[in-house]
This record gives sequence, structure tokens and C-alpha cells, in this order.
Amino acid sequence: MKPTLRSNALACLAVSALAASSASFAQDSIKIGVPMELSGRFVAYGASGKRGAELAAEVYGGKVAGKKIELLHRDIQSESQATISVFNELVNKEKVNYIIGPIASPTVAAAIPAWRQTKPLWIVPGSTSTKLEEEAGSEPEFFHTFPFAYHYHQSVAAALKSHLPPGQKVSLVFSDDNYGRTHQPYAKKYLTEAGFEIVAEEIVRTNAPDMNPLLTKIARAKPSILLGLVQTTDAVTLTKQIYTRKLPVPYLVGTAATQLDEWQKAVGQAQEGWIGVTTYLPGLKRPGNPDYPKLFPPSDEWEAAFVKKYGQEPDFEDAGCYVSAMLLFLAIEKAGGDDKAKVVAELQKLDVKNTLLGDAKFVPTPSGTKNQAFTDLVVFQRQSEKNVMLFPPGPTVGKIKSAVQ
Amino acid sequence: MHYIPQLIVDALLLGGIYTLMVIGLALSFGVTRVINFAHGEAVMIGAYGAYTIALVSGIDPLLALPLLMVIGCLFGMALFKVSIEPVLKAPHVNQILLTFGIGLVLQNAAVMIWKADERSVVTPYAYSSFQFGEVFVAGGRLIGFGVALVLVAALFFWLRRTEFGRATRALDEQRDAAVLVGINVKRMYALAFGLSVALGVATGVILSFIGAISPFMGFHILVKGFAIIVLGGLGSIVGAVLGAFLLAFAETAVSYYVPNGTGWAEAVAFAVLFLVLVLRPRGIIGQAVAD
Repeated sequence: MKPTLRSNALACLAVSALAASSASFAQDSIKIGVPMELSGRFVAYGASGKRGAELAAEVYGGKVAGKKIELLHRDIQSESQATISVFNELVNKEKVNYIIGPIASPTVAAAIPAWRQTKPLWIVPGSTSTKLEEEAGSEPEFFHTFPFAYHYHQSVAAALKSHLPPGQKVSLVFSDDNYGRTHQPYAKKYLTEAGFEIVAEEIVRTNAPDMNPLLTKIARAKPSILLGLVQTTDAVTLTKQIYTRKLPVPYLVGTAATQLDEWQKAVGQAQEGWIGVTTYLPGLKRPGNPDYPKLFPPSDEWEAAFVKKYGQEPDFEDAGCYVSAMLLFLAIEKAGGDDKAKVVAELQKLDVKNTLLGDAKFVPTPSGTKNQAFTDLVVFQRQSEKNVMLFPPGPTVGKIKSAVQ
Repeated sequence: MHYIPQLIVDALLLGGIYTLMVIGLALSFGVTRVINFAHGEAVMIGAYGAYTIALVSGIDPLLALPLLMVIGCLFGMALFKVSIEPVLKAPHVNQILLTFGIGLVLQNAAVMIWKADERSVVTPYAYSSFQFGEVFVAGGRLIGFGVALVLVAALFFWLRRTEFGRATRALDEQRDAAVLVGINVKRMYALAFGLSVALGVATGVILSFIGAISPFMGFHILVKGFAIIVLGGLGSIVGAVLGAFLLAFAETAVSYYVPNGTGWAEAVAFAVLFLVLVLRPRGIIGQAVAD
């Protein structure tokens, strides 16, 4: 069959219509890349991050500055190579102007070179690594909405100082990886400045099958506080072994793992007395923002809505990514559309009181990050399988208890 | 010197866990000459099996152990028939890639079924302990040591006192002669592979209440397992047991007597692997490398 003039014309028309419709869709939507750890070892963080961003888009109404919010969810598989591929795709093929995520320190670090190609506005709602601050902190398009390692240890030192008499001895256990080695100097610095004496420091290889030798050495140093700077797998082993050998150390402090449901379930009764640090906990009863009552309601209302939708309590990254996405939507709205430079400027100017994570205002850090929000941390203790707030001081603060059985 | 009694106890208990980890690996290699890179995933599946049974029905991991081992053995035999048997005469690199691929499939299946969250089974005995003067003994690890002893003894009994066991040894020691006397090679291979998976599953059941379970736990176990069987001698079960205890003693001694020793202890496995490969490739009681 030979093509006729009429069939050629129809084909051209169809192609033009298709092109026009996709162009019009592109113009009518604002693409936001959401690369998260949706599989692999950091899936707990990434799954929460995805939920938080999705919920924010839904609550916001699905449109910003008159255009559809198009969240481009991508799985970076908790792996560096997959992270680089996803970022290459988002910045070169999708040409996104905005990215939220990923969360874990190693994946965020892997994303930096690919992000640098076009430097879209990048909100990082995780990573405590100060390496990130050194490598990307000075860039105006980089926004960090999670505390750095030193914020953690400032809060821990302040919380312990406010609850315990002076002269306490501390032992540090830190993992031989980026996490442990990043946190250890700050823990030492801020605890020493707060008047604590470091009497033992033990390094532990990740996935070590037996921590009893280091616990035996720690027991002989007779500390009153043990601070474990290890990731979740090692935190489970450490917690179980401490409980099994009835280590006579009254105050046990973890970092991120203590708040995680998976750690609490894995260690059972051994969680009693552990102290943790986080940006957000259900039950904090933070007030809402009267200017944006729909976007930032009181935390208990938001938690109830979250539980109704997802059938589970939100964790810190559900809240973190929800707030991060909301701030981005507000900045796009104020910029009047998809203009990256204007959105960067608006995000830098935002000052939103009483979000789920506290007041949202991007300020520079002393260590060189231009845009840092949310440095307030909550220190809590697991008592009878519930969280009891220890810090910051306020009406809901409880009393610290010894973990010695 | 003051750490020595505790060091001996810690090393013995760790050696028991290492023995469980490697006897299956040594058995399957000794008989089939296939290095099973998915053995760590067999351990992982055993751990998740114990966890799931405990979660769903409340049955204790130790009670579930025999059932899980039987399931593991049948699964291993089926896996052998379907995937390993067709590549028995293929180059070693094909077999390695195949078993490595099986490991990845199992790992990703575990992520899909159980997610990547860290889990562990909480049992009263896992948190029990005994104190003898200054020496502390963890109940869960003592049970792990006991299970290792029983399974190693059962394996040796099976190898020396049963017809199938003797046929397995014959294949290990004089393959051509074994074929000539009419031993069904493929059936024995499948049985040895199934038993090796069952032993891996048993290791996972013990680890389910001692430490953390995750879909990615297998790789670390595999690496440590290889260091042990290279140390003991590829293909030798007695060598694997000796290697497990030697490595456990070396690691524990480093943990106690080297500053920041718990950080360095894991490096001992790799240092041992390197030294043995350079100085004595046959290992302590090895005979397989020449093949």
C-alpha cells in the first residue's frame, strides 16, 4: 500500500498532536525528583521519605502555582551506583529543577557529583555526615533539612548534663565506618565540654558477631554512661549483648536506632532505659501553624491523619520529608512558578513557625552550610516500652532512669 | 593475663557459631566440588524461617529447628537438581556465577517478603547468662555452641556409620572408584548439597536469636566462612571445624589484647586468608586444591 497525501497529512497531524499534548503536560506540571532508598539496606528511611513527600503533595492539593505537582519517585536501591544513575536520569533526561532526597549518608554522598552537573535545587532531608557539609554545603542550591552530627551531640550532652550530677564517666563505642568515625569526635568534644570524663573508647567493626570482649573492657573502666555510635544492625547486637551480660552501666545512649520500630522489636525488653536522639517523635504535641493550618496542623492532628491513611505511626523521616516537600511547595508558590533561581531565593527567605520539626528557617551553619534548617533535637528515653522526653526542657519532660537491671 | 579465662570462653562460644557456619559449606564442596556462593543466603533463609514461625505461631526457634532443617534439605536438593546439576561439568567460573546469582535472587526475594528492616527473635534463653567468678557466659551463645556440637557429631556419625554417609565419603575421597562400584553420583551430590543447605539453615536459626537478621547478612557470613575453610583446608570437614576454632581464638585474642581490638578482629579473617593462600594453600588438613 502506497502512502497517500491524505494518510501522510493524518500521520503528521497525529504526531503534532502527540507532541503538543506532551509539551502541554510538561508545561502544566512541575517535576520534582524524589530519589529514595526504596529497596536495600536503607529501605526503612526511603519508604518513609516517599510517604512523607506523597502525603505533602496530597495535602497541598496536588497543584502548586497553578500547575500539577509531578513527583518522580525513583528507587536508588541504597546503592551508590544506582544513586548516580538515578541522579543522571533526573538531571539530564527529566531535567528536573527540584530534588528531594535521598536520606542515608552514603547515598547522599554518592549523589553529589551527578547533582553538580546542573545543580537543581536539592533538599536533603537526611545525612548527618559533615562530609556532606564540606562538599555541598556552600552551594546556594543545596538545602539541608536534617541536623548534622554535631547537632546530635550538642543535644545529647545538654540533655545528660541537665539530668545527671557532675562528674559522670563516659565510654564510647563507635563503628569503624563513616557513621561512627563522623560522630565520634563530636561526641567526645561536646561531652567533654559539658564536663563529662571519657574513660574508654572502643571501636567496633560493622557486623561484628561478638562484642563481649569490648564490653568486658568497658565494664572494667566503670563508666556511668555508654554512648553507642553504631548503625542499626550493630545496635541490635550491642543492645542484646549489653542486656545479656547485665552490664553495670546505668545510662545507655544510642543515636538514630533507638527511635526505630525495627530496633525496638528486634531487642524486645533490652530496649528498657536506652536513650535516643531524634528530630521528631509521635506524641510530642507540637502546636500547629495558624498561617498554614492545613499544611502544618498541630502534630497530634497530623499524626491521627497519618495513622488513618497509612495504618501506622509516622516516623521521623515521614515527618521530615513531609515538611521538606511542603517548604518546597510554598517556595514555588511564592516564586509564582517553575523558576529555579526565584524558588531558591524564596526558600532561603521562608520563615515558617511551628512545623512538625519546629520552626523552619534556613540559616548558615558555622561549618559552612549556607541553608540549614531544623537543628533542634529531641532526646528521649525508652521507659516501659514508651518514649519519655528528656530534652529540650518543657512541660512534657520526664525523669531519667537507670537502665541497670 | 587477666582476660584469659573470659577469652577462652568467648572464643569457644564464637567457634561453635563459626563451626555451624562452615561445615555445610565444607560438605558441599568436598562432595560436589562446587563452591556454593549462596550458602550465606541459606543461613539468612534459616534465620527468617525461625523468625516467621516465631512471629506467626509463637513456636520457639529451637523447636522449629528440625522442621526448618528438613525443609532446607529438601529445598537444597531441589535447587541442586534444577540449577547446579546442569553445570557440574562446566568451568568453575560458571558455577561460581550461578551460585552467586542464586544468592542474589534469594536476597532480593527476602527484601520483597520481609523488607530490609533489622529483625531478631527475642527468647528468654537468649537473654540468660551465667557468672562464674569474673567469667561471664551468655546463655544464647552456649545453646548455639551445644547445637553446633550435636550437629557436628550427627554429621560425623552419618558420614561414618550410614550407607549414604560412607557413599558420600567415597565420592569425596575416591570419586572414580566410587562410580565404578555403582554409587549413584547425582543422587549423592543432591543429598550432600541438601544437607549442606540444612546446616546453613540451622546456623540461621541460631543466629536469629543471638544477633540481627537482615536480607544482607549472608555476604558477611560467606566471606568469614571462606576464610575458615581455606584455613582448615578446602573440602575437609575436620579442617573446617579446626579452622573455625582457630579463627575464633585469633579474633577474640586480638579483641582483648590489641588496642581497639574489636575493630581489628574482623581483619584477622582476611589476614589469615591471605597468609594461608600464600604459605600453605592446602590449609591445615586440606586435600582439595590439587583437584
